[in-house]
Amino acid sequence: MNKRILIVFLFAALPTFAGADSQWVLKQSTLTYHVSHPLHQTEGVSHAARGKGVCHTGQCEFLIAVPVKSFDSGDSNRDLHTLQVTRGAEFPIVTVRTRLPESTAASATFNADLEIQFAGQTAQYKQVPFKLETQGGETHITGTIPSTLADFKIDPPSLLTMPVKNEIPVRVDMTWQPQ
Amino acid sequence: MLRKIFRNRHSGVPGLAFLVFLSAAFAPFLMAQTAGMGTLMGRVIDAYGNRVTNATVTATGVNNGQMRSATTETDGSYKFDDLPAGNYRLKFEAAGFKMLEIPATTVRGTETAVLDEKLEAGEPVNAKPTSAQQDNLPNAPSSSIRAPSLSDLGLSPEQTQGNAREQALLDKRTHMLKIHQRMGLITMGPLIATVIASMGAGGKSTSTASRDLHTALGGVTGDLYFITAYYAIRAPRVPGTETRGPIRFHKAMAWIHGPGMIMTPILGIMAFDEKSKGEKVHGIASAHGPVAIVTAGAFGAALLSVSLKF
Repeated sequence: MNKRILIVFLFAALPTFAGADSQWVLKQSTLTYHVSHPLHQTEGVSHAARGKGVCHTGQCEFLIAVPVKSFDSGDSNRDLHTLQVTRGAEFPIVTVRTRLPESTAASATFNADLEIQFAGQTAQYKQVPFKLETQGGETHITGTIPSTLADFKIDPPSLLTMPVKNEIPVRVDMTWQPQ
Repeated sequence: MLRKIFRNRHSGVPGLAFLVFLSAAFAPFLMAQTAGMGTLMGRVIDAYGNRVTNATVTATGVNNGQMRSATTETDGSYKFDDLPAGNYRLKFEAAGFKMLEIPATTVRGTETAVLDEKLEAGEPVNAKPTSAQQDNLPNAPSSSIRAPSLSDLGLSPEQTQGNAREQALLDKRTHMLKIHQRMGLITMGPLIATVIASMGAGGKSTSTASRDLHTALGGVTGDLYFITAYYAIRAPRVPGTETRGPIRFHKAMAWIHGPGMIMTPILGIMAFDEKSKGEKVHGIASAHGPVAIVTAGAFGAALLSVSLKF
């Protein structure tokens, strides 16, 4: 009799659990931008991104934020110039927002619509492909955001009168953990 | 669409998440007026759509720091007329609500534009908006989820707020270093020409014309060099920046070519005098050539160090 009551209780409680909020936290990240110049190939790396995902009824809202200053290209002069040209002092944080179904965590690949705020501009990237790998309760996501300078109205900086290419793809490597 | 929440300053006052909704109808929009001047206007309402009166709206020019203030009317509207075109930082303050700051809004004097931008939403200090309240937000990413905010990520307002003064410093620095870079490139021309002309000016050559040409080119090189150096030396320093990477080598080379560029003409004048007297260049003046070569080499290396990746 007690067992039956317990089973009924569990079934009754299921919808409540199904609708409950869950959260994801960005545990580790490496974001790498790539800049091409006829004389240089430069990469800037940041490990300072912070991120959080809030899920409710099967849908998750993610926010990732990274300080512009945290990108390190190995050359302080270049980093300061990058900060200037991207108006990083005025707009110190790059934010990425996306919305994904909770079931994405079970896929090996997924496409995400991203909204990126950077340099005082907002750009939308549709269906950006990512790879996903879950191991030991952690979800590892990799992909490349096909961003360009023009998306954020940034004038291409030049060296020796030669401007850099418009394309600045950003490689994303993140490890998320449910909270 | 613009999305804003005014946070309540007073703890324990429920449901006072405020929304600054500057929509197409009421959003701060930019109206073309006289050339270079624009109008910025909008309306301040709360999370429930109620207009907020007597809110103080402050527009601060990002580039020049000039401030203008306006107070919202009974319908929650505010207006700035004749704003010089440029970027403005906007601050919204109202009694009972948390201050809200928009880092930058662009006012263009020659076009009518609607600012269509999603801004970061905050939440009340002690009264987080419920899902129902969140649903009322324009551009809410989901009808049922409270999207995380920057404060949820542990970022303080100081970390997320723009710093116009620092940006102005960076702008000035870049401007001066761009001139430095161009002048450095231009200097390379007469520098190479001076080295080439030296071949006919020194040694056993007795040609006065070659010496004069070499001297003239050296003079031009020196002038251009010191203009180049001026823009590097006077470029503002950014506090807290540690010098890393190829720029260290570039700066180290300056300790060679800088003194070299002072020494070379002095030794050159001495050598010129001796040569003019029909003497063989001797003593310290004979170091003119080697010092010049080392100086030119260090200058070239400095230029290459920031131009090519080794």
